[in-house]
Amino acid sequence: MRIGDAKQSYEADEAIWTTSTQKLWFGLFLLILLVFPFMADSYLLYLGCLVGIAVISTTGLNILTGFTGLISLGQAGFMGVGAYTVAWLSVNTGLPFPITLVLAGLMAAAVGILVGLPSLRVKGLYLAIATLAAGVFLHFIFAEWESVTGGMGGLSLEPAHLFGLSFQSDFMMYFIIVPLAVLMVLAAANVFRTRIGRAFIAIRDRDISAEILGIDLLRYKLMSFALSSFYAGVAGGLFAYFYRVVTPESFPLSMSIFYLAAVIVGGMGNLLGGILGAAFMTLVPEALKLLTAALTPFYPNAPVFMSPMLEIIFGALIVGFLIFEPHGLAEMWHRIRRFFRLWPFKN
Amino acid sequence: MFRNILNKGRRLAGLGSLVAALTVATPAMAQDKEPIVFGGSIPLSGVFAFAGIHIHAGLTDYTDWINSEGGINGHPVKYVMEDTAYEVDRSVAAFKKISGSESPATYYGDSTGFMKAIASELNSQGDTLMSGASFATALTDNEQYPYQFIPGPNYSQMFGIILEYIADQGKDGDMPTVAFVYSDTEFGKDPIENGKARAAELGIEVVEDIVTKPGSVDVSAEVLKLRRVRPDFVVFHGYVLSPINEFMVQMRQMGLDTQFMGTFWSSDKLIIDKMGADADGYMGVMPYNYYDSEESGPMLDALRAQAEKSDPEADYRPTGYMQAWFNAMVWTEVIKRTLDADKELTGENMAAALASIEDWDTGGIIGIPVTVRDMSFPVGRIWRVNAEKGRYEPVSDWIHLD
Repeated sequence: MRIGDAKQSYEADEAIWTTSTQKLWFGLFLLILLVFPFMADSYLLYLGCLVGIAVISTTGLNILTGFTGLISLGQAGFMGVGAYTVAWLSVNTGLPFPITLVLAGLMAAAVGILVGLPSLRVKGLYLAIATLAAGVFLHFIFAEWESVTGGMGGLSLEPAHLFGLSFQSDFMMYFIIVPLAVLMVLAAANVFRTRIGRAFIAIRDRDISAEILGIDLLRYKLMSFALSSFYAGVAGGLFAYFYRVVTPESFPLSMSIFYLAAVIVGGMGNLLGGILGAAFMTLVPEALKLLTAALTPFYPNAPVFMSPMLEIIFGALIVGFLIFEPHGLAEMWHRIRRFFRLWPFKN
Repeated sequence: MFRNILNKGRRLAGLGSLVAALTVATPAMAQDKEPIVFGGSIPLSGVFAFAGIHIHAGLTDYTDWINSEGGINGHPVKYVMEDTAYEVDRSVAAFKKISGSESPATYYGDSTGFMKAIASELNSQGDTLMSGASFATALTDNEQYPYQFIPGPNYSQMFGIILEYIADQGKDGDMPTVAFVYSDTEFGKDPIENGKARAAELGIEVVEDIVTKPGSVDVSAEVLKLRRVRPDFVVFHGYVLSPINEFMVQMRQMGLDTQFMGTFWSSDKLIIDKMGADADGYMGVMPYNYYDSEESGPMLDALRAQAEKSDPEADYRPTGYMQAWFNAMVWTEVIKRTLDADKELTGENMAAALASIEDWDTGGIIGIPVTVRDMSFPVGRIWRVNAEKGRYEPVSDWIHLD
């Protein structure tokens, strides 16, 4: 039983892993991630890659919405910018994927800064509508700027490549997506140990107080938008290499809502929440299908009546979380940790 | 309590009988030939569910029927599907799951987006032939999509058939004018450029083209545009119902005698059911006979009999059902030709078998023998709504594009 950690320096207080148990668990988690692709079939590998992309994008949105308090409904648009940047660069220049991914992130960040400009004047729902408008505008550009984006037909691209290796299969893509997801989440965790991250949190908690403390609101809000969009751009770039086709319809408004829901269900302002939320939103609809599979031997027509039911159950699960666990899955995880930490005493 | 125990006992006995039956049946089944698997990403929920449930019914009924006929060259057919909610990522997940566990020879894709997204995987796997709900022109590019085909004319070819019909209506060198109204989607924009080019070749003037949101209802501004140019024909594309109904009602209220036409997914009986008498005169291009048409043929009769058997209370089967049945028919023909040639069921061999289809009699599903061109069946007929009888009736012969 461990009942507390004595922290005797600022460094110890700000450390990502405060105990050796945490380090052990994280090491074990990395080992599982490493072994997973060698054990999983193509279906599980595909879902693993999908979760990896969702984790990157959700972490980006969490930086903006969860940590800075700026609601955005433009995440799909920023992902689209990243995806089209990668697709265009891949088709027209043949650059290797590390460069195209960084450029995708930077391009999305630049667009994010532009979209973030109104954030000094408008907040809450107003900002949500402003970012929604940006998403619609970006969709219009994807559809109409035919010479660059291929119009409604979109762009097809070659597999990601590096040093003569072609990352064509899900197995190979896993080794791009998942390490990048781990690195980007760790990078985000580090951001919140710096002045910049603390400024984001200060703005979220009370922007007027933050300004009085000397935080340049516009600068830090735009920085948050840039960082969040960078993550979305990289996620979009990975999306492009993963599916190898990008069309305007790949990035609908519902995708932005999906990521916002992932942040809320996971736990706003909590990086672990972003990871859990992304996994939940991606995997639960698939897991629910097991119900149908279990019923099909007894009722051959089960898919027909169960499929709409599953959509309802999934919606109800999300609503249930908002009502009964407003701090999201991360809070559930923390409660479980507290239980084991204090066991056998009452939590 | 006693009743409880008795009930549990009955359930256990039932379960025991099932296990016993399966145990007895297993050796017999093992002697059979390997089943051939039809896979499917089917949208049973989501925005395309209205068609998805009928597509599922069509594939299920065809599978039951072909098995009752002895399967394909003695191989039983197994249909394995997953719901996709018409979302590309879930559709791809379904494909991975099914192809990982069942090795489907053929597969039904629920959207153009999915079929494009899965193309690289399909090409690298090389053991599945795919078709589905999409009639996208892009999918007939054999270089990029060598293992995918269109179970009918692609959208550009549908426009070609419509425009040939319109050209035939011209009298004394006075060619009718046409306007295109389409949705702001990949689906909607697909045939427009090719349609304009074909219209120019036939000497038909495209006097207006209008893009709307799919499902939009307020189209008064667009109707005013059409009123100014007074087209003889308006061709809708990229919609299921709205705003076709709005355009028709408003233009007729303005006294225009324009005739209205639509492509495959805009030519379902749904339009008659929703619009009633207002649907009268609406025309659609359809590659298959309607379920309630007066046409007949051995396969069309078998389809009707199987549909009646599987759901006696349903007196009509929509176009999604007919399309799914035809898909499965083509798969069967392709597999049969491949097996008859003593070849493996690979994507390449099945694509070659598909390309070899020439003057194929579909037993009344399509009214004339059909020939595959560029992985599609460029054939169709113009049908017109008879609102009083509540059905579509043919107004043209079958048109086969060369």
